[in-house]
Amino acid sequence: MKAEHINPFLASMVSVFDTMLGCKLTRGNPYVKNAVQPEHEISGVIGLSGRAKGVVVLSLCREAALSATEALLGERPPEINGEVADAVGELTNIVAGNAKAKLEYLNLSVSLPTVVAGKWHTIEFPKSVLPICIPFDCDWGPVAMMVGLVEQASPSEAAQATGLVLQPNMAAQA
Amino acid sequence: MKVLVADDSGTMRKIIVRNLQAIGITDVTEAADGAEAVARFKPGEFQLVLTDWNMPNKSGPDVVREIRAMDAGVPVVMVTTEAEKSRVLQAIQAGVSDYLIKPFTSETLRQKVERLCGAATQA
Repeated sequence: MKAEHINPFLASMVSVFDTMLGCKLTRGNPYVKNAVQPEHEISGVIGLSGRAKGVVVLSLCREAALSATEALLGERPPEINGEVADAVGELTNIVAGNAKAKLEYLNLSVSLPTVVAGKWHTIEFPKSVLPICIPFDCDWGPVAMMVGLVEQASPSEAAQATGLVLQPNMAAQA
Repeated sequence: MKVLVADDSGTMRKIIVRNLQAIGITDVTEAADGAEAVARFKPGEFQLVLTDWNMPNKSGPDVVREIRAMDAGVPVVMVTTEAEKSRVLQAIQAGVSDYLIKPFTSETLRQKVERLCGAATQA
């Protein structure tokens, strides 16, 4: 995982929490995430595809998820419910979308967000992807972001690596 | 003043509605996807349209094109994370009046609305 890939996600996370939630994040030390279990109780998950593929996970403790929803909607939900899930999904979507715009050369598309809640939930990353976890702290408690992204070889690069000769197709010849 | 807000995220619609209410705009129609936005739009009824880019059934640029075909003058703002230059160009070609990149502050939204609709926000 290249630093140039992870930095836009990091900057996006800090910016989204500050702008949308009025919440200042303090970054901890990033580390390679080997376990499939996210750091906290509720996770927003988004897939990335294009000239790179991967997954972004925004993981929040219960208090952070409830407080973030309150900051967005003006009312505090009594528990982790559909409203909280939708808010976490939208936050994940904005973090991923904002970072994607800074990685224009990868021509990335983002999937619709999925939200998973529960203390023991797990998230599988693609086998070739080694996710990096970046922990943050804020007034609401700990949150974390996991990013796993690998560049895909273009068809011509893949052909070069394998010694394959690509034939122009009929449309290109016409 | 009547505003149409199209976004498949209920959270984002609520955020936008809250921000509009804070500047005195309470007559808001919500659409949960692109097709619903086009179906709900009636020429002359709305003074502003705020639409997301990535929505089921019809994308933001398609919504803009179809609304433009019905009403050439209504201000349409794309509210999205799609900030790549190529995307902005695509939105301009579709006919957007302005572009609001997520994440945004209440103040930025207010400024955009007031610039596009002026004193209408006070009505």
